Amino acid sequence: MTIAIRATDLVKSYSPGLNALDGVSLEVSAGEVLVVMGPSGSGKSTLIRTFNGLETLDSGSLDVLGLRLDAAHEERQVRAIRERVGMVFQQFNLFPHLSILDNISLAPIKVQKRAKAAAEHLAIELLDQMGIREQAHKYPAQLSGGQQQRVAIARALALDPEVMLFDEPTSALDPERVKEVLDAMRQLAKGGMTMVVVTHELGFAREVADRVMFMDQGQVVETSDPQTFFTNAREERSRRFLSQMM
Amino acid sequence: MPQIFRRGRFWIQLGVVVALMAFGGLLINNITVNLIRTGLGLDFGWLWRPAGFALAETALPYAPTDSYAWALVIGWMNSLKVILVGLLLATMLGVAAGAARSSRNRLLRSLSGGYVALIRQVPLLLQLLFWYFVAFLGLPDTPVGGLIHFSNQGIRLLGLNLSVEFCSVLTGLVVFTGASIAEIVRGGINAVSLGQWEAFRSLGLLEGVGLRRIVLPQALPAILPALTSQFLNLAKNSTLAIAVGYADLYAVSDTTITQTGRAIEGFLLLLLSFLLLNLLISGGMALMNGAVLGRLQRSR
Amino acid sequence: MNRWLDRWLTLMLLALLGWAGWSCLHWLWRGADWTVVVTNLPLYAVGSYPEAERWRPLLCIVAVVVLIVITLLGTRHGEWRRSLPLLWSAMAPLGIWLLAGGLGLSPVGTQSWGGFSLTLLLTAGSGLLALPLGIVLALGRRSDLPVLRGGSTAYIELMRAIPLIAVLFFGQLLIPLFLPPGVEINRVLRAVVAFALFAAAYIAEDVRGGLQAIPPTQREAAAVLGLSPRQSLQLVVLPQALRVALPSLTNQAVGLLQNTSLMAILGLVELLGISRSLLANPAFIGRYLEVYIWLAAVYWLACTAMALLARHLEIQLDPVRSAR
Repeated sequence: MTIAIRATDLVKSYSPGLNALDGVSLEVSAGEVLVVMGPSGSGKSTLIRTFNGLETLDSGSLDVLGLRLDAAHEERQVRAIRERVGMVFQQFNLFPHLSILDNISLAPIKVQKRAKAAAEHLAIELLDQMGIREQAHKYPAQLSGGQQQRVAIARALALDPEVMLFDEPTSALDPERVKEVLDAMRQLAKGGMTMVVVTHELGFAREVADRVMFMDQGQVVETSDPQTFFTNAREERSRRFLSQMM
Repeated sequence: MPQIFRRGRFWIQLGVVVALMAFGGLLINNITVNLIRTGLGLDFGWLWRPAGFALAETALPYAPTDSYAWALVIGWMNSLKVILVGLLLATMLGVAAGAARSSRNRLLRSLSGGYVALIRQVPLLLQLLFWYFVAFLGLPDTPVGGLIHFSNQGIRLLGLNLSVEFCSVLTGLVVFTGASIAEIVRGGINAVSLGQWEAFRSLGLLEGVGLRRIVLPQALPAILPALTSQFLNLAKNSTLAIAVGYADLYAVSDTTITQTGRAIEGFLLLLLSFLLLNLLISGGMALMNGAVLGRLQRSR
Repeated sequence: MNRWLDRWLTLMLLALLGWAGWSCLHWLWRGADWTVVVTNLPLYAVGSYPEAERWRPLLCIVAVVVLIVITLLGTRHGEWRRSLPLLWSAMAPLGIWLLAGGLGLSPVGTQSWGGFSLTLLLTAGSGLLALPLGIVLALGRRSDLPVLRGGSTAYIELMRAIPLIAVLFFGQLLIPLFLPPGVEINRVLRAVVAFALFAAAYIAEDVRGGLQAIPPTQREAAAVLGLSPRQSLQLVVLPQALRVALPSLTNQAVGLLQNTSLMAILGLVELLGISRSLLANPAFIGRYLEVYIWLAAVYWLACTAMALLARHLEIQLDPVRSAR
């Protein structure tokens, strides 16, 4: 099986003496869904933000789809990775001044230099897939949170990425809107997409994840299959976290 | 920050420096050529030569035989006089008009609204000319109770003689700046929650007392920074005094430059003067800001 | 007690207003003589422009007024509405061509430009120059290259410390000194350049405020989609920042229009300048009040129209409101 992401000994610190990432190593295989869990401040968001160069590294190295990232990488390298790795944020981060259609077709037109008509056709198709085709000509502020997040997923998919990163995609949503976003992600996973998902949704992790990774204080505490993790976690810290969540 | 980024940035920066230096060099080259061509070079010696022009209004003794430098100092004093008095009166007018905008009296409210809407959409220079040519030069000779005497020669207040030019510039600046200050004060007052108004009304406090003692002190932190920039505007706008012949710093500089032809030196002096003036005003306001914030924090 | 105060205040104000209104009416009825305004309308509009060619600046003014009316009232015809931005952007070069001549029109020197048409030209010309310069300065001030940042900051702060009249005066005096010998630019162009250099510093601060209002996550979202920093600025950050800055930019534009009157002190015969030379004419001696009221009305209307246009633009640019 090919490896999509290989991280070796990642270290990242925002303030001296306090490491957000403290020697993290992991591998994500192509087609795998890895769910990252952990208390807030455990470094899980920082971790997946290093995968596409949003955070720089202090030391250690990353291999993303065969492209190498380390403390001294080049901007060009980062952009090559970003064209192949999609990302979905907690706060959606749609462009408020662009219509839904333009939000999705912007990167295909400007980055991949696709024809406008083809890009818009693709955008409509993706919106259809997300079940919000009729919203194409509205603006982000007119959509509900769940709809906005599905647009954000469509926007990331428009570049036809090989890996998708999700940074707490449902944390900013009203509870009744969570399901529609998780359903879209579930569908994506079924299609064989390589996914790294930071989330607190236990149900999603149990059902969709191939492996669950638990982080605390910038370190990986344990990585297990969901069955083991939820019923019989190896580490005391994981068990304590789970008991608080349930 | 990765090393390579830095290296890229270094080249961009170097490029900018080289471009700026080339552009600056071109300008300097041109200006030197032009200065040589016209027989001028940077020289401040003229400052000590006699000015030769008279000034209508002098805070300190001055005669045309005095130096240009002294004339500029007199101009400075005149500027300072109109700016300081202007700041004080404009603040009073602005606070009054701004408070009137949130008065319960509808007539007062619309009057103050009309004042702001009218004054802010008409050029200050036009207003100054109006105050000078129409209002003050048109004053009939009227003694008011022996203490104040209006005439088209100026206003005599107790023992104080105010020239028509001074009065026009002052009135124009105060009325114009007052309108802007009124808007700021209104914004500040609106930012104070309605609950505060209801609180003092329910205590039976008079409207004016509540405004002065309860609402305005809370609005101050929002008002002061915007007030500073209005004060700086007033100071800069005072240079329009030249249009009505008030001998302020700019007017004296203008005459000096016309007589000596020393444009660059004159410009540098004026620039320095205004930097100093700005520093004085913003410094004073920063002190006041600190005092106000300090008092608010202590009272909490 | 409070209510009595209120009533008393109202009565006093009413009396004051009544007196002021009565004096105004009295003056209008008895004292005012509007011949100084009525007989000189062409002068206010176009200055001492050659009589045979007066239709050119007049056409300019009429075109602007028509365009304002169309924009504000709005047309139901989608085609008209879509061509409005094009028409507006064609206005400045068209205006310059009409005033200056050439390309089939007889050339007219800038010394004969004047009146309201010159006021409009000064405002539009310097505004159009100042906006891009201001944006560049704002970006420079936020750059992480120390040289760029320092240079932009110094320029902005120095310019904002000096009074406009000084900038204009020294613009007239000094700009020629900075040019190679033999190259000369005329008074109007010098004024436009000086105005633009001055306004750019203020615009830069407004744009900077707009840039600061855009959350960094917008840049992040753009970066993650593979957009280059320049694309991200151009397509994502700047359009939003300018929209945020629009109300304060409007104030700058209104200020610019008012400030063109300062050129009267420096001898250009724009609207205020032409009025000053009219008042110096013995035939109209002492008719200050009539002229000033007339000018105030014109400036007030022009500034208000500008503010209304900007509000209109704000609504047009608000995606949610215009989509409805």
